Order: sequence, then C-alpha cells, then structure tokens
Amino acid sequence: MSEVASQDVGKAQNAIRSLHELFPNSSAKGLLESENPFRDLLHNTELGCDISNHLRQPTSGVGSDNVCRWLYDTFQSTDSELQMVVLRFIPVLLGVYLCGAISRKPLPGFEAVILAIYAHETKERGEEAMIVNVASMDNPSVYHEVTGKTKNNSNKAAVLGVVSPEMEPCGTVRATKRARICGVTLELYYSKISQMPISSKVEFCKLCIQWSGESGFDEELVMDVNKTGTEPAASNLEKGGRIPLPWELFQPAVRIVGHCLLGQFESVELRRKALEATKCLYARAVHDVQPQAILAARSLLRLHKFNRI
Amino acid sequence: MKPFPQVQIYDNGVNEERHSLSDLSSNNETTTVGEMHTNDMCRKSLELEAKFDEGNIQEAESSLREGLSLNYEEARALLGRLEYQKGNVEAALRVFEGIDLHAAIQRLQPTHLQKVSSRKNRSNGDLLDSVSQHAASLVLEAIYLKSLSLQKLGKITEAAQECKSVLDAIEKIFQYRIPEFMVDNKLQEIVSKAVELLPELWKQAGQYQEAMSSYRRALLSQWNLEINCCTRIQKRFVVCLLYSGVEAGPPSLAFQVDGSFVPKNNLEEAILLLMVLLKKCCNDKAEWDPSLMENFTFALSICGQSSMLARQVEELLPGIYPRCDRWNNLALCYSGAGNNKAALNLLRKSLNKNEKPNDILSLLIASKICSENFLLAGEGVEYATRAILNALGAYAHLKGVGLRFLGICLGRQAKIASSDQERTFLQTEALRALDEAITFESQNPDLLFELSFEYAEHHNMNAALQYAKKFIDATGGSVLNGWRLLALILSAQQRYLESEVVTDAALDETAKWEQGSLLRIKAKLKAAQSLPMDSVETYRFLLALIQAQRKCFGSFRNHSQIEGDNASEFEVWHGLANLYASLSHWRDTAICLEKARIFKPYSAPVLHTEGTMYEARGEIEEALGAYSNALSMDLGHVPCKVSVGALLWKRGSKSSCIARGFLSDALKREPTNRSAWYYLGMVHKEDGRLSDAAECFQAASMLDESEPIESFDSIV
Repeated sequence: MSEVASQDVGKAQNAIRSLHELFPNSSAKGLLESENPFRDLLHNTELGCDISNHLRQPTSGVGSDNVCRWLYDTFQSTDSELQMVVLRFIPVLLGVYLCGAISRKPLPGFEAVILAIYAHETKERGEEAMIVNVASMDNPSVYHEVTGKTKNNSNKAAVLGVVSPEMEPCGTVRATKRARICGVTLELYYSKISQMPISSKVEFCKLCIQWSGESGFDEELVMDVNKTGTEPAASNLEKGGRIPLPWELFQPAVRIVGHCLLGQFESVELRRKALEATKCLYARAVHDVQPQAILAARSLLRLHKFNRI
Repeated sequence: MKPFPQVQIYDNGVNEERHSLSDLSSNNETTTVGEMHTNDMCRKSLELEAKFDEGNIQEAESSLREGLSLNYEEARALLGRLEYQKGNVEAALRVFEGIDLHAAIQRLQPTHLQKVSSRKNRSNGDLLDSVSQHAASLVLEAIYLKSLSLQKLGKITEAAQECKSVLDAIEKIFQYRIPEFMVDNKLQEIVSKAVELLPELWKQAGQYQEAMSSYRRALLSQWNLEINCCTRIQKRFVVCLLYSGVEAGPPSLAFQVDGSFVPKNNLEEAILLLMVLLKKCCNDKAEWDPSLMENFTFALSICGQSSMLARQVEELLPGIYPRCDRWNNLALCYSGAGNNKAALNLLRKSLNKNEKPNDILSLLIASKICSENFLLAGEGVEYATRAILNALGAYAHLKGVGLRFLGICLGRQAKIASSDQERTFLQTEALRALDEAITFESQNPDLLFELSFEYAEHHNMNAALQYAKKFIDATGGSVLNGWRLLALILSAQQRYLESEVVTDAALDETAKWEQGSLLRIKAKLKAAQSLPMDSVETYRFLLALIQAQRKCFGSFRNHSQIEGDNASEFEVWHGLANLYASLSHWRDTAICLEKARIFKPYSAPVLHTEGTMYEARGEIEEALGAYSNALSMDLGHVPCKVSVGALLWKRGSKSSCIARGFLSDALKREPTNRSAWYYLGMVHKEDGRLSDAAECFQAASMLDESEPIESFDSIV
C-alpha cells in the first residue's frame, strides 16, 4: 500500500473510531478491520440509520451536538471519499434543519456542517457561476458540421445558461441566504449522486414530498378527472413541513429527483418515491405558478410516461 | 438437429494450423503465400456459410470436416454462431473462448498486407478486398456474439470488454476510418451493432464513465453508421448525460477540431446533441420523437434558458403539437424568460373561446402575468374568475391559487379605479378573495404577504401588521420584501423606532448585496425621526455599497443589474436632495439634484424637489416652471399636482378654480394623499364652501397617521 493511501485509510479509521465512541453499540467497530473502510462507511445501513435517527431527534443540531461535530470534522478532513460519507446524510440533515430554521430555532450544529460544505464549494468554484454554453447550430461542433456560408455568421453573441449563479463567501447563515446555501449543498450532493446509497436518495425524494406540501399532481391524472373526480388526499397538507421553495432550492431538487426517476435503477422503491416526489414538485410549481419550475417538473413526468409505454 | 461433434474438430490439427499461421505472419518473406492461403480459406468459409444460411447444417458439418485445414478462428466462429443461434449460449461461449482475436487481427491488419497492396498499386483505403473483409466479419461477429452470450449469462463487465475488443480490432484493421462503399454489408452491420451495444453494456455494468466514453467513441469516430443507428445512440447518450448523475468531463483532445464547439460539461453536451437531433427531425432525417423535446425542455429550464427553448419551439414544424399546446408551451417559456408581454399575447390566443378557454394552467399563468400590471389587472380578474370556476375535480386544489390571483388583481385594479365607490368595492372584494384563498391554502405564506399588502393599501394598518408578522414567521424571515413591508407598515403607524429595529433585524438577515433597499428605508426613517446627520451617514453607506457592487461584479453584471445599480444610486441622490431641502440647505440640495440627473436626466421627482427648492426661496415662477416640466414628463405625478395646487391657492382667489382642479385630480389618482386633502380644504374654505372644507380637513386629519415613509408600491 502506498504511503498516501495508508494515510487516507488512517483518516477513515479515525473517523470510524470517533463514530464508535458516539454509537458504542453500533457496528462501527467492525469497520475498523475492513479493507475498504470508505465504502463500508458509506454503505453501512445500520450506521446510516443510527446517524439519521439521531439527526431526527428534536434535540439534535444544537451547538454541542456531537454527531454534527463528527459530520463537520469528517467533512473537513478534505478527503473526498470521507466527504461523501457526510453528503450521504444531507437529505436528512436539510430536512430537519430547514423546518427548524424557519421556526427560528437556533441550530448551530447543523449550520456548521452546511456552512462547511458551502465554503468548500465556494472555494472549489472560485466563487464563480456555473455556466452552460448553449451551442449555436450555425457554428460547427464536435457533433455536427456546418455546410454553406452560414459559417461566417459566427459572431453571434453566445447564449449562456446559468446552472448556479456566482457565489459569495458566507460566515453565517442569514435568513435570506438560507435557501441558496442549502441549494449549494444540494448541488454538491447531486454532483456525487451516482455514489450515494439508494437509501439516501429515497430519503431525499421523501423530503421533496414533504417540502412541496402538496399531493401529487399529474397532467395524466387530470385527463381522467371527469370520470373519477377524486379530491387529492390531504395527507401532505396536514403533515406540515411545507417550506418556501425558491428556484435556488427547487432547481437542484428537481435535478436530483430527475436522476432518481430516469436514471434507470433497479430499486422499485426509489422509482416509486421519485415519481411521487416529481408529482409533488410539479404540483408545487403549479401552485406557485413558476413557469420554469413547471416546465422542468412537467417534462420529467412526461418522460417517465414515455418510458413506461 | 444433430449436435455438433465439437471437441473433435477443435482439437485435431487446428492448433497446428494456428502455429503455421503465426509463423506466416511473423515471416514477411512468405506474405504472398500467406495471403493466398487466407483467401483460399475464406472462399471455403464463404461456401460454408452459404450452406449454413440455407439451414443445411449437415452439409456444413461435412464441409467443415473436409476442410480441417480451414482457419482455426473461422471454424470456431462458424460453429459458435450456430450454437448461439440455437440458443445454446453456454456452449457457444465455450466455442468462442478458443478464438484468438489478436491473431486474427494481426492477420487482417494493413501492416501485414502493406506489401501486397503497394505492389498492386492500391490506395490505403481499400486495403481489404471483399474476401478478407468477409473473413474479418466472420471473426468479429464471433466476438460480438461472444459478448452477447456473456451478457445473457449476466457477465456484463466481461461482455463489455469483449465488445470493446471488437471495436479495437476494427480500428486497428481499418486504421481509424472505415472506408465508405468499400465495406461489405455484413461487416458494417456487425460494426454498427457492436458500436451500439458497447455503451449499453457499460451502463448495465454500472460503469458510467466507460459508458460515456464509448458513447463518444461511437459518435465521434468514423464508423460509417447509418443515420437511424446514429440517432438512437445520440438519444441514449443524451439520457445518460442528463440523468445518470455522472459527469462525463470534456471529450478527449483527439476529437476536438479547431474552431468547432466543444462541450465542457454534461448539460452543454446534452443540449448540443438535442439541438442536433431536433434539427435532424426538422429536416426529416429522423423520425419525430416527443421525448427529445421534453429532454430539451428539462435541460434548458435547469439552466434558466427558457428563451432559447422558446426559439426552438417556434422552429418546430407545424403539426407536431396541437396549436393550443404549442401556444401554451411557448407562453410558459416566454414567461419563464421574463417576457410576459409575449407570453400574455399567446395565452390570449389559446384562451380564446374557440380554442381552450377553460385550460386552468393557462388561466392561472395569464392571471399571474396580469396581476403584475395595473393596466392589465381587469383582464387578470377575468382569467382568475374563470380559473376558479374550472377548479373542479382533480383541479380542485388549484382553487386557492385562482382566488389568490383574483385578490391580487382586484387590489391592483382598485389602484386605478375611477371613483371612490368603485375603489372601495374593489378593495373589499380583493380582501374577501384573499381571505377565502387562505382557507384553501392555509400553509401558503405568499397569501399572508398579499393580505398584509392589501390591508396596508386599505389603510388598515393593524391588520396589515399582523399579517406581515405572520409572514415573517412563516418564512423564517427569508424573504426580503416581507421585512420591507413590515418596516413600512410600522413607519405608516409612525412607530419609527420599532420600524428601525425591524430594519436592523432585516439587515442582519440579509447578505451585503441585498441590503440596498433596507438601507434606503433606514435613511428615510432617520430623516423622519429628525436625525438628519444619521440619515446622511446611512445614505453615504448605501452609496458606498452601490459603488462597491458595481466595481465588484463589473463585467459579470447583466443589463438589468446595471440598470438596478443606477436606479439605486439615483434614489440615494434624490433622497439626499429631499433631506437637504427639508433642512433648507439649498446648495447641497442643488448638488444632489445634479448628481441624480446624471442617472435619470428626465425625472419628475427630481424636478419636483427642484420646484420645492425654488418655492422655498420665493422664486415662484421658477418653481411653477419646474412643476409643469415635471408634469409634462409624467402626467400623473401626484406630488407635483399637489404642489401646483397649493402654490396657486397661495397666490390668491383668482386661480383657486385651477388650484381646485389640480388638487381634485391628484386625489383622484391618490385618494390617500393627505396634503391634497388639506389644500383642497383650504381652497374650499377660501371660496366660502365651509362644509366642503370641513370634510376635506376631516379626511386629511384621518390620513395623517397612515403615511408610510416610502410608498408600498415600491415593494412590488
């Protein structure tokens, strides 16, 4: 084993050791012997449940919360694989945090973790926006050639799409910046999503259902309305947990849900939850009458329908 | 069918054959002999294959037996294919295992045939004649089938590796370019199949990076694929790019051509491919596939480019979507891109009684667009009412949304009502609609904001205050406008200190660049509390912020942001001018007005402040000139009308008639203007209409307590 690799394993083992102290009855100790501690730490269901359950407790997220401290330290280890272990808990953490933060509950434990992730991304991106260059068909690209004389009109201004606007460093979570900071953690989560365990993705889909505060709504369903005339179930409305969903939060959420819905997974549960989440996000977009959100969520639902046929 | 006597064939003498072949290939001197030998075998294999194709297996079998001298790889390839076709995947696999692809490739490689070709004066492109091509296709097909067999047995990664080796072999044999028209159909078919299969195998194996690079290899290398095959691969690649969650990274330099666009990330690549695909559809080179448009919609809305999307929808051939759907889609795109005018025009078409007048989504979008403009509010009321009527069945949950926009539109409509009676009626209706909406959407904080705003406009500050507080609680203070509304409501109640506390709390909760509007409120609050120095200090701070913002973002800022900066700087100078004017510091006032003019050369508010300055200095003619200039720029500028009215009244009874006209006009536009009521009362009093005067004074005194330091309209 090379020196670097053994150092990394050392970091992982440290993380596992301190986790074992937090959850003495868990299977954490067994992971110390593991040949691939990163993988096991990321995919260990039992530990995942332990940590998630802890985060959901009403007392968690305070300044002295040791699990938050562990998440913070683990993320700050700057080891990308260990960081992934922290990202795995983002859905649970954001779910608890955003609901609590809106009712002005001080949650410095959660905020420390979220701010660490935000700061990491700010640095990674050099505070710059994530831009998408929309190609012009008038200019040649690797995938197409241009015949004729249109080639010369290449001076047209480039069309730029913004996936994520420029970032500014934040030392604290200010209320008006909260959605953006949480949105950025979701963007990072999305960029690693292919490595996330299914359970974490299912968790996120459930979170979207809760955030939307809506019951699922689908165009297709609407087609048969006149026959059935069903009232949407009020279950979500009573549960609470509806939060303001500005684009900076909606956009990364709909991308993650899109991946869960159309990423071709084996897991039936994930696909089912993803479909429900998409319907809820669509319903929410319609309620907020946000054209961009409507377009994004609606195309996911339509694509799902095409796939089924 | 009789099973093949496989073992005997494989192990008799065939190995020797391989030895002799490898000897041949290593020995250049005997190349000619080698080639002849190969051709000979190929001819035999051709015959054999023909027999297979006819289904005459026994004959094939005997031919094979006869020709034991037949090339080892080819014999196995044939047998394996037969087993595969019979469905004996495992048996086929055993047969294929023995094929040494490497040896086969070496035999077929151009380096090996170079001498022959040069002697025959051929160009490099048509190195392989049809016979050797056929031999190649036989072996390559075997490996392709091997890959399929492995896939069927669940050994996906191995399958992918085999499939990849087919492509590697082809690239070696043809030196990275398959000559068009020179390739035998059979070989081309195998090439296409393998190219298409490889990325799917990698995907199945969960190896997305490999899948992405094999998609690119499929699309960017010269495989001479037919257009449908290419389209299929492109579509699958798009889906993979958009939803796999794995970043593909930029394509390798080998594929990049000077001056052509190279996508840098998944979204860019997906959008580019989708545009290529859509163009193919438009040119009738590919069949229309609705999923293309949905993927394109998703990709472009994610990066906020719905205007680009609109352009693409416009370019679609007619007949693909029903026209109403097309209009509605376009409206969504335009509205998403902030072009509400275009969106509304399209919605007017689709909501026409001959089209789809009851489409609830279109009705809601139309009413939302109308709610943002006083002049359209009446039209919005109609859309919202229709939306409410159609909120039935599965749409029932949208009733609250309809009621919300009905309330907002009625409120806006009240602003331009022509009579007091109409205004009161509209305002009451607006509040009723919003109150009803909240019974449907008790969880929606937006409604709390609208209610608060409407009550504030209605001068019911206590109710407005309650809803504003509820809104702050429901959103956790995350909405800047909520803070602004709360501060303004408190200022309207003359609770300046509390308003300042709220503003400070809001400043704590907002990031630096969003603080401009709050600082402006704070400066005005300080001025209202007769703390001019503090006010100046706050303005100075705000000015520094605006200038820093301009510098910091420089080239990154778009047009509207730059406009926003200029507007805020204008506000600062104008605010300062008003402040100095209230202190009778006329020189400073004039300087600030000059500064303000830099940003807005033709501004009624600036001229109004200038007018008050002249008036205070007793330069009545100049003052009147400034006011009338202001009114010629903005006919409806209420403060000017009031000032002119007041000035004329002060001049004496001769102009009182005109004064009354100006003041009544001002009140028609802004019935809550306290000074207008006051001066109108004075005019009445002077003219001897005492009861009228009393009514006016009463109105003025009632309004006294409810003027915010900044108009509520500045929020929306």
